[in-house]
Amino acid sequence: MRTGPVRRWGPLGRRWWGLIFVLPVVGYFAVFSIFPVLFGFTLSLTDYDLLDPPDWVGFDNFRNLFTDHLFLTALGNTLMFVAGATVPVWLVSLLAALLFDQAFRGREILKTLFFLPVLPPVVVVAVVWRMLLHPNGIMTWLAGAWRGVTEIDWLSSTALAPLSMIAVHDWAAIPFFMLIWLAGLAGIPPELRDAAHIDGATPARTFWHIDLPQLRSTAVLVAALSTINAFQTFTLQYVLSTDPGGPANSTLVLGLLVLKYGFQYFRMGDAAAVSVVMFAMILTVTAAQLWFNRRVS
Amino acid sequence: MSARQRAHPLLFLTALAAAIVFAFPIWFMVTSAFKAEPEIQAIPIHWLPHDFQWLNRFREAADFAPLWRYFFNSTLLSLVHVAITVFFGALAGFGFAKYRFPGRSVLFFCVICTLMIPFQILVVPLFIEIKAFGWQNSYPGLIIPGMMNAFGVFMMRQYAADLPDELLEAGRVDGAGEFHMFLRIVLPLLLPALTSLAIIVFIWSWGSFLWPLVIVQDRELNVLAVGLTNYSQPYQHAPMWGAAMAASTVATIPIACLFVFFQRYFIKGLTAAAVKG
Repeated sequence: MRTGPVRRWGPLGRRWWGLIFVLPVVGYFAVFSIFPVLFGFTLSLTDYDLLDPPDWVGFDNFRNLFTDHLFLTALGNTLMFVAGATVPVWLVSLLAALLFDQAFRGREILKTLFFLPVLPPVVVVAVVWRMLLHPNGIMTWLAGAWRGVTEIDWLSSTALAPLSMIAVHDWAAIPFFMLIWLAGLAGIPPELRDAAHIDGATPARTFWHIDLPQLRSTAVLVAALSTINAFQTFTLQYVLSTDPGGPANSTLVLGLLVLKYGFQYFRMGDAAAVSVVMFAMILTVTAAQLWFNRRVS
Repeated sequence: MSARQRAHPLLFLTALAAAIVFAFPIWFMVTSAFKAEPEIQAIPIHWLPHDFQWLNRFREAADFAPLWRYFFNSTLLSLVHVAITVFFGALAGFGFAKYRFPGRSVLFFCVICTLMIPFQILVVPLFIEIKAFGWQNSYPGLIIPGMMNAFGVFMMRQYAADLPDELLEAGRVDGAGEFHMFLRIVLPLLLPALTSLAIIVFIWSWGSFLWPLVIVQDRELNVLAVGLTNYSQPYQHAPMWGAAMAASTVATIPIACLFVFFQRYFIKGLTAAAVKG
């Protein structure tokens, strides 16, 4: 710290102000984030129904999950949703970014139209698609009218409902991730592309040798973020499905199971155990992201 | 310019098709809010309302459920979250960036850890905690958990670290106290970043669904996101698609306005929030 003629707070006195500035935030998180997380871990080792005092059961809740039909269903559904909400999103959002990165007439207005699904909250997305995916509704008309089909059970068939969830999720996610790719593309120094252009490289070769290596950290980011978001999916399965998680639990995902155990069955210990498993899976993804990032850079 | 001339017409056509596919549901939502009820599910589709309804669907939505109360609650929740996160996030971010005090690294690490906690992990224990506080089914219970977002601290620390120390020293020479200096010098300098932060926090809080769903039972306390489901899946009643589309449009308008009026900050905020990792 510099010494000056006017120094009211010595270095020792002044630095305590830093502590005072961060204290409100630290105190808030201690009460509303850190404590609940630790409490949640403890809760997962108990049986608790909100009425009687919690019973300590050790790791029984976790052991039971392995044979719990609902949990295994939800785990399978979640993994399938994650697969459907990451690979296509990653690929299509990249293609969309490359498309809207080109120069052509009307690009800005078309890009804005493409971006519109990012604006409505997820619940609005769910409500609007619930109407569009009515068995005799607009989507059936668009997909089936030309071949004489008048009814498609988008949401009430156990085979189609999970796919509908994925399609609707991807519709909203692709424009968002296009934005991230575009930010990555904007970070590529234009000299690199110009040099490749002067050297007579084709657009495909320029993309492969110039853009792609520069986009590596964006690629990891989009993959990680779309996976984490997909693991936490909940609102679509709650609002868009015929009944939360339905039909016949075909769209029951882990996020919904936490809610079901906690606030429908009042099995707080099991709910906390499921959420701890979710947390572990999400942390694994985060760790993988950090590892890839280190390798990439 | 040369690139513009070389652009292949196929590029334009592909982009046009993609834009139509992705914008169609939003178009359908907004136009349906002005259609007569039977028109909405009409086959073939009515691209525009044939029987333009002005505000009838909105009135119907407000008659069936307290739509404007929902709107007020969502606005209150989001604005409190924005104000708290922006002010205390900037204060703490500045504190972490520009002061060396004992425990700084440990405390910052704790704040960053909360960024990695998905809300589903918190919902059950937080519910029990808030119930113990006696805040269940009340505005404090609805608003206080989640009103401070660790992302704000993280983002503001980065921006505050870039502030030149000379400016802060100049503020000190004027005889200002540290907190006064924060208000007079640091906050104005952080304003562009704070705008992006405010927008992203507003979007998150406006769309929050899970916590309001579990903590509030009274209709009068519910937010728009939860209230919307009253129209699409009403209890013992056929879905009211017109009212649902009107209410959905109402729920989208604030975010659309932010997008239109603050496009640059909007995009910056979304990107910054994604990159935080």
